[in-house]
Amino acid sequence: MKKMKFSRKILGIPYAVFLLLFVAAPLFVLLYYAFTNGEGRFTTANLTGFFSDPNTLGTLFYSFGIAVVTTGVCLLLAYPAAYILATSKLKAKSVLMMLFIIPMWINFSLRITALKEILTWMEGNLACHPFLNTVIGMSYDFLPFMILPIYTTISRLDGALLEAARDLGAGEAQAFLKVTLPLSLPGIISGVSMVFLPAMTNYVVLDMLYNSTYIMGSLIGSYFAAYNWHGGSMIALILLAVICLFTLFTSGMEEENTRGGTLL
Amino acid sequence: MMTEKKKRGVAVLLACSVLVFLFPFFSIQVNADTGSDEEVVLRVCNWEEYIDLGDWDKEETIDLDSGDVIGESSIIKDFEEWYYETYGIRVKVEYSTFGTNEDLYNMLTLGDTYDLVCPSEYMIMKLMTEGRLLPLSKKFFDTQDESNYYINGVSPYIRSIFESNEIEGEKWGDYAAGYMWGITGIVYNPEEVSEEEASSWKVLNSPTHRRQITIKDNVRDSYFAAVGALKSELLTSEEFVNSPDYLERLEAEMNDTSPETIDRVQEYLQDVKDNCYSFETDSGKADMITGKVVANYQWSGDAVYTMDQADEDDFTLAFAVPEESTNIYFDGWVMLKDGIREDAAKQHAAEAFINFNSRADNAIRNMYYIGYTSVISGGEDGRILEYADWCYGAEEGEEEVTDYDLGYFFSEDGEEGKYVVTAPTEQAYRQLFAQYPTKEAISRSSIMVCFDEEQTKVINQMWINVRCYNIHDIPGWVWAFLGAVILAGAGGGIRRWKGSYRGWGQ
Repeated sequence: MKKMKFSRKILGIPYAVFLLLFVAAPLFVLLYYAFTNGEGRFTTANLTGFFSDPNTLGTLFYSFGIAVVTTGVCLLLAYPAAYILATSKLKAKSVLMMLFIIPMWINFSLRITALKEILTWMEGNLACHPFLNTVIGMSYDFLPFMILPIYTTISRLDGALLEAARDLGAGEAQAFLKVTLPLSLPGIISGVSMVFLPAMTNYVVLDMLYNSTYIMGSLIGSYFAAYNWHGGSMIALILLAVICLFTLFTSGMEEENTRGGTLL
Repeated sequence: MMTEKKKRGVAVLLACSVLVFLFPFFSIQVNADTGSDEEVVLRVCNWEEYIDLGDWDKEETIDLDSGDVIGESSIIKDFEEWYYETYGIRVKVEYSTFGTNEDLYNMLTLGDTYDLVCPSEYMIMKLMTEGRLLPLSKKFFDTQDESNYYINGVSPYIRSIFESNEIEGEKWGDYAAGYMWGITGIVYNPEEVSEEEASSWKVLNSPTHRRQITIKDNVRDSYFAAVGALKSELLTSEEFVNSPDYLERLEAEMNDTSPETIDRVQEYLQDVKDNCYSFETDSGKADMITGKVVANYQWSGDAVYTMDQADEDDFTLAFAVPEESTNIYFDGWVMLKDGIREDAAKQHAAEAFINFNSRADNAIRNMYYIGYTSVISGGEDGRILEYADWCYGAEEGEEEVTDYDLGYFFSEDGEEGKYVVTAPTEQAYRQLFAQYPTKEAISRSSIMVCFDEEQTKVINQMWINVRCYNIHDIPGWVWAFLGAVILAGAGGGIRRWKGSYRGWGQ
């Protein structure tokens, strides 16, 4: 057994090297640029600059708005779908599930291009509803990430709990609200975090669907295009902080609700 | 426990991953070894899809009177062979590409080294002022040497621009050799937009074509168009156009970066943002062809491509050059000091690369492949004009034809009547017009200079202001809603903390 442990450690080395080179090192570079100015001296001007500029704050807000709405739409669409799938007695359940997953096998920019044509056909002129299109595009893109974890938690629910609830006199609705919904919270939380975070930065969807307003991702890009690496790094760092906070928050909630595993 | 077989598998996997990590070091080693003795390594960085990569079909042969032109293998490979045949030295071109001038600048600043790069004029100016460029050698300008295709073939018109424009007392022409050039204008659908409308930058904000027009997604092009639209009245007034120092005044007006102008441009572009179809870098061409938009702000080379593609679908588009002014732009080859260093062999190869690309047949191959217009007019070599005629000239027996005079581009003294393409009349405002604008359109062209650091900062900030969502624009109901959500959240938290709520599951 000792030998086994040793070889496992060795197996981890390539990944550790990878982490060090491509995750940790760039982070330090980011930190360095975020807190220095053009002359290479330490400064917090980038930080205060971010929080005093109505445009950067507005962008943070706008990205947040898109992410919140997208997550909400995804949740509203995904929960019933996952619930029906998980509780149905259909034999073809796994086939149905595949139908949700298969789109993920197709390249994402291809899917958005196709969506663009469909939306143009439906709306006439895409450019008139930039926010709506962005939300549709993102929801379309991220929906499977919401369905899968919810589906897994619901299908793993202990049926005995529901029976017990009914024995104790709960109706269908009450049993759902007091048993199924709280128990599927871990799935919802992991789904939310998998949709919310990319939705804040995925500016390719905005570009492809003709929303000319910047979100966090494109804002960082514009700083770099203007040779302002220091400002750009600071925005990237702030975004990182936002994401960390969000992850801490959701994982805290998850711990409170640990019951049943999540697949993703 | 692991079986022997599994262990071997693991070992192989490990060995592979180690190899992958070490590979870059090995390859550098190999290059250094061969590079020093017998072979010159030339590191070239050019725009994406900006050189002929060969592999043409036989049917694509350009059959000119002076002989056929066809790209069998890439220009890069052809250059390596030609260099060996001509100078007896092996050269290896390491070819890479960049997406935007700013990307290239960032690459250079972050430590990538190249010997020869091809940025646009304003980036050349920026690199010149930063002292990063190596001047072209005297030999490069020797018209006696037949292999100096650039100096013997470059259009006199382009050459005079490169000679007359200076930055900090130094001529562009001393550092840069032109590659492609063009102007900016409007591609439009003549059924929806009139020529008159398309001939003004104001079309970008036209209320009659709300959400039907695209504009370029970069600050310089947008700035130029906005200044053109804002100063339209002045720029098209008789007094201004007929003033003796028209060109100087035009250039000054189009490069106006006074704080008031920047403020007005910001306001204007914010309107455009709410009125246009999109800010695009690439999608505009497809949207124009599929009819999603009726007009788009385009560089002349891409305009040719767009009209060609539309023609294949029997959909006719046209090109207009705004009356106010058009931005004439150049991409040119420049050598970098920290790439070439003092290596004479390398510099020779770099200059030969420029010359090889300037040979008439190669210029034609590049033009055919990428759709832009080469700065080469061919000098004694008549093939460039033949190519223009091959592309756009009228078929025999065609009824409506126009004589399209290109004297300003091809001849030393701008002589008219000698360099003429007889083309179908419609070409005068279609591909031929975009490829080789008329003298009249060129006469109102202006160069957009390189802004200094302070101006660049202000203008970039202006652009970010245009594109960002301003926090002051958030409607009141959103704030109210947010407040309610936060209050509710806080209320829920307190209730929970007091223990009046017990979670499920534990």
